[in-house]
Amino acid sequence: MASNRDVRDMLGLPVGEVAPPTANKKSKKGGGTKRIQGVAREVAALYGERPPPVAVYEEKKTYRAKRQSTGPAKKWIQQPFTNPARPDGLVLKHWRRKPTTAPPVQEGEDAAMQDSEPTDYLESCADYVKYNITVDMPDFTDEEYDAHLRNNDWSREETVYLFGIVKDYSYRWAVIWDRYEWQALKRRERALAEAAQQGNGDTDSNALAALPFATPRDKERSLEEMKARFYDISAKLMKLRIPEVQMDADQYSLYETLSKFDPVMERNRKMLATALMNRNMDEVKEEEFLLTELQRINMAAVRLDAEREELRSRLDAPQANTSTAAGLQSFTSSTALQALFQQLFQQDRSKKRSSGGSNAPGRLSLSANDMINTPSNSTSANRRTSMALPPSAPSQTPVKTLSPHQEHRFAVSTHDRLTSGITFGSDKLLKMRQAKSNVQTQKIASALQELGVPEIIPIPTSKVADVFEQLVAKVGRLLDVRKVKEKEMGECRVLSRMKAARDGTAGVKQEGDASGENNGKKQGEGQDTPMGDSNEDGAGEDDDAEGEDDTGAQNTPANADRDDAEADGGDEDRAESRPQDVDADADADADDVDAEGEDESAAQTSRATSQGAGHKRSASELSDGSQPSEKRARK
Amino acid sequence: MNIPNSSTAPTAGEYAGDEVSAIVLDPGYSTTRAGFAGEDVPKSVCPSFYGQSDSDSYLFGENAIHSPVGNLNTKNYWGSDGIVEDWDAATKLWEYSITSRLTGARAGDPAKNGLNDDPRANGESMDVEMEGVENNEKPMEDSPLLVTEPGWNSAKAREKYIEIAMEDWGVPAFFLQKTGVLAAFASGKASGIIIDVGASHTSVTPVLDGMVLRKGVQKSPLAGNFVSQQIRQTFKTASPEIPLTPHYLVKSKTQVDAGAPANATYKTFPVAPSASFRLNEEERVLTEFKESVVEVWPGPGRFTNGTNEEIAKSAPGRPFEMPDGWNNIFGSERFRVAEGLFDASAALTSEANPRPKDEWTIPRLVQAAVQHVDADQRPLLLANIVVTGGSTLLHKFNDRLNFEINAIYPSTRNKLIAPGSVVERKYAAWIGGSILASLGSFHQLWISRKEYEEHGASIVEKRCR
Ligand SMILES: Nc1ncnc2c1ncn2[C@@H]1O[C@H](COP(=O)(O)OP(=O)(O)OP(=O)(O)O)[C@@H](O)[C@H]1O
Ligand SMILES: [Mg+2]
Repeated sequence: MASNRDVRDMLGLPVGEVAPPTANKKSKKGGGTKRIQGVAREVAALYGERPPPVAVYEEKKTYRAKRQSTGPAKKWIQQPFTNPARPDGLVLKHWRRKPTTAPPVQEGEDAAMQDSEPTDYLESCADYVKYNITVDMPDFTDEEYDAHLRNNDWSREETVYLFGIVKDYSYRWAVIWDRYEWQALKRRERALAEAAQQGNGDTDSNALAALPFATPRDKERSLEEMKARFYDISAKLMKLRIPEVQMDADQYSLYETLSKFDPVMERNRKMLATALMNRNMDEVKEEEFLLTELQRINMAAVRLDAEREELRSRLDAPQANTSTAAGLQSFTSSTALQALFQQLFQQDRSKKRSSGGSNAPGRLSLSANDMINTPSNSTSANRRTSMALPPSAPSQTPVKTLSPHQEHRFAVSTHDRLTSGITFGSDKLLKMRQAKSNVQTQKIASALQELGVPEIIPIPTSKVADVFEQLVAKVGRLLDVRKVKEKEMGECRVLSRMKAARDGTAGVKQEGDASGENNGKKQGEGQDTPMGDSNEDGAGEDDDAEGEDDTGAQNTPANADRDDAEADGGDEDRAESRPQDVDADADADADDVDAEGEDESAAQTSRATSQGAGHKRSASELSDGSQPSEKRARK
Repeated sequence: MNIPNSSTAPTAGEYAGDEVSAIVLDPGYSTTRAGFAGEDVPKSVCPSFYGQSDSDSYLFGENAIHSPVGNLNTKNYWGSDGIVEDWDAATKLWEYSITSRLTGARAGDPAKNGLNDDPRANGESMDVEMEGVENNEKPMEDSPLLVTEPGWNSAKAREKYIEIAMEDWGVPAFFLQKTGVLAAFASGKASGIIIDVGASHTSVTPVLDGMVLRKGVQKSPLAGNFVSQQIRQTFKTASPEIPLTPHYLVKSKTQVDAGAPANATYKTFPVAPSASFRLNEEERVLTEFKESVVEVWPGPGRFTNGTNEEIAKSAPGRPFEMPDGWNNIFGSERFRVAEGLFDASAALTSEANPRPKDEWTIPRLVQAAVQHVDADQRPLLLANIVVTGGSTLLHKFNDRLNFEINAIYPSTRNKLIAPGSVVERKYAAWIGGSILASLGSFHQLWISRKEYEEHGASIVEKRCR
C-alpha cells in the first residue's frame, strides 16, 4: 500500500516533512467551507470563483423516525370474553393483544393462570354494558288495580299486555301500535278453542256463546286508546305513590300532562295532520304561491321602507347637521347645484356598479335620463345613454318620430352637443341680460325696460329664450352703434369747431355742401379714410343701413324676426332714414332671402350708388366698432 | 407520538366496533351473499339457483350451474311467496356459500381424510379426534351468525332459520334481522322507508328506530323477474320475432347487419340441457339487456301519458347484440318493459301473464306502506326513502321514483337515499348486517346456544323483533 511518503516521493516533494499534511488538514477543516455533496456540488462548481448571489443551502433530508423495535412482534390472540349484560354467559371471541404477563385478577385465578394456557383466561368485557338500557315502568299490585285502575273497556290481562309491550318497545308508540296484537291473539285463541270444542261436541260451544262476556271487543285498539289507558294508569299510580301536594314542580307538570291527555283531541290533531299531508298538488302549489307572494310583499315593504328612510335621511340631514347646513348655502346658484348633482350622480353610479348594476324597479336613482328630458332619449330607463347623442344616429330607436308640428308643440329640441348637468331656462335668460360691464348691463336693462320686456319672463321656453337672445344681441349692438355715433358726433363737433375757428366765417348752411363734397370725395378715395367722413347725415344713413344689414348677416332666422328686430332697433332713427330703409329692404328682397348676408359684396358692387358707398363704409366702420368690444372681451 | 398503523388497536370508543368474527348471510332470490361482519362487501356471492341432476345430488356455485350438462335441472329454493320453500336445498346452498369462501370446509375425520395414513402419526391424530369429535359435522361452530330475512317472513320460517343454524351448523350465537332494517343501517339511517326492488319481489318496508313497522310492510311480485318477463314478451311479439339464444348454445358467430337474422354456428349436446337450465341462461342475457338497454321513463307523467311515447320514440335508441350476433337498436320498447313497475296498465300482457294488479306498482306500495304508519311518523319516514336492490339500477329508475313519490306526497319533504355505487345498492342488506354484527353493543342481542336450548326455536319471535 502506498504510504504518504511514497506519494510525496512520486510528486517530488521533500520527504520527512510531517507538519504540512496536518496543517493542510487543519486548514481544510477550519476553512469553514463545508463540502457540499451531490448535485448541489456540481451546481456550485458552475458558479466558478464567484460566490453565488444567493446563499445556497442544502436541505437536510428527513426520514420518518425508524420504528423502534420493542422486542419481538406482539402476539394477537382470539380472546374469549363474556358480556356482563348477558344473563347466559355467552362466550364470544375477539382479537386482543396477547397479554405479556398474566392480567391482574384474583389471586386464586392468577395461580391457575400461570399453570394453564393464557387463552383460558376469560375476559369480562363491560365496554358496551352501558348500552344495555331498560326503561322505567310504573307497576301496580293486584289491590291497586282492583281499587283504582279498573276499566270496563280494558281487561286486566290486556292491561298487563299493554304494559309489557310498552316496556318491550321503550315507549315508541308508533311501534307499539304496530305490534299490538292483543285482539289478534284473542281471536286466534278463540278459534283454537272453538275448533277444540267442535271436536268435543256442539253443546259446549253453545254454552260458551251464551256467556255474556264471551265476545270481547274485536276492534283493533287505536294508538290514542292505548295512550289514554297507559297515561291514565300512570297518573293514578303516580298520585297514589306521591300525594299531589308533595309533588315537586317537575313531577307535578308530568302528572298534569299525564292526566290531561285527551284522546279525542289527539285523534283530531292526527286527522288534521293527515289531511295536511294528503293535500293534492294544486293545493300545495297554491299555498306555495301564496307564501312566495307574501314573502315578496314583505321584501318589497322592507325595501320601500329602507328607500324611504334613505330619502328622508338625505332630506333631513342638513337640519340635523349644522355644518352641512352652512355648506348648503353654497348651493344656491345653478352651477353649484350642478356640481352637487354631478357628485351625487357619480356616487349613485359607483353604488350601482358595486351592487351589480341592475336597476331595480322602484329604486331611487339619478340617471342620465333624468337630466335629458327628451322623449327620444328616455326610451330605455335601464341604459345610461350617452349625453351627447347625435339625433341622426340614435343608439336606440326612439318611441316614435315626432312631426315638426308636434316637436313644436311639445317643445322638443335636438342638440348636437349637450353639456352635462341641468340649467334653468330662467337662469339662461338672466345670464343674457348680463353684459361684461355693469354699465352695459344697466344700459341693456333700461333698453329692455323701455321696450316693455318684463324683468322675469313668465314662460321661458327655449323658443322665447332664442328670441330674447336675438333681442338682447340687437340691443347690445345698437348700444354699440350709439356709442360709436356719439363718439363720432363729438369728433365732428370738435372738428367743425376747429374749422370754424380756422375759417372764422364758417356758416351752418355750408355744412350740407361740405358733406356732399365729402361724399363725392370719399367715393373717389375709397373706404380707408374713416376719419375723412364727417357728414352727419351720411353717418346717420350709414347707421341705419348698418343695422339692417347686420341683422341680415348675422340673423339666420326668418324675415319676420328681422322685421321685428328692425322694428325694435330702428326706433330711434326710423324717422330720418325712411327711404333708405325701404331701398335696402328692396335690395335684400331682390337678393336671395337666405343668403342675404353672404351676398353683401355682390350687392355692393352692383350698387354703385351713394347708398352703396355708405354701405361699404359703414361695414368698415362696423368692423372698427367691433374691435374695441373684442378687446374688451379679451380683457 | 405513535402513528397508528395496522398493528395498533383502535382507541377505545373510537367506534363501537368489536368484531367477534361473525358471519353475515343475506339470501336473495338471485344471489346469496355471505361474508364476515366488519368487511365492506360480501366475500361470497353465489347464485341462489342450484343444479339438481336425477341422482338427487346438488350442484352449487357459478361454475357448476352454468355448465351445460344433460339432465341437470336448475332450481331455486325460494317459493313464489318470497319465503324459502325448499329448506333442504337452502340449507345446503347457504352452507356452501359460507364454507366455500369463508370458513373453509371443516377438516374431516383426520383418521379418514387420507393425510394420516402413516401409522406413525396415529397417536397425534387420535388427539385431534378426541378434541373435535363432536364438531366434525358442524361447519360454523366458531362464528356467530346473522341471517337476513324478508319483512314478510312467516313465524314458522323464522324458527326454521334458527334450527338450521343451531342444529345443523352449530353456531354459538344467532340473530335474525329483516333486510329492510339492514338496508337502512347501510345508509346510516335508523328510520325510513326502504324500497327494495330485487329479483323476485319488490318490497316497501317502513322502519322506525331500527324496527320494522309490520303493518306497513308491502310486497309485490313486480321486480327484476317481471322486467325479464316483459322483455321476453317484447322479443316474442316483435316481428320478426327476436331470437333469445343464450351463450352456451353458440359456438361461433359472425357479424350481421342490424335486424338481420343471426349467422352463427351452434353447439350440439349429446344430452340436451333441460329447459330450466336454458331459462336460467337466458336470464343472464336478459340481465345484460337490462343493464345496457332498458330505461325507465323518467317522468314527468307516465310513459303512456300524452305525447311521452312520441318523445321516447324520437330519443336515440340503444343497440344490443345477442350472443349469436343478432343485433338491433331498441327505441321506445326499452321504456315500455320497465313501465309496468310503475303503471300496471302499461304492462305487456299475455294469456300466461295477466295484467298485474294496480296495488302492485311501486307508487301504490309506497302509498299503502305510508298509510299503515302512524300519522306523526309519516313525514320523518318520507324524508328518508332508502332505495336498494339490483333492479333499482335500471337507468333513470330513481328519477321516476322521485317523480312518482312527489306526485303522491307533494306537501312533504321527500328525499331519496340511493347509494351511488352498484355494490352498495345490490348488497345494502348485507352491508347493514355487516355493520350491525360488528358492533360491540350488538353482543347483548345475540341469541346464544344456551338460550336456544332453554327456550327452543320460538325464541326468535321474542328476540328478533
Ligand atoms: N345493472 C342492472 N340493471 C338492471 N337490473 C339489474 C342490474 N343488475 C342486476 N339487476 C337485476 O337485479 C336483480 C337482482 O337484484 P338483487 O340482487 O337485489 O335481488 P335479490 O336480493 O337476490 O332478490 P330478492 O330481493 O327478490 O330476493 C336481478 O333480477 C337482476 O336482473
Ligand atoms: Mg333482496
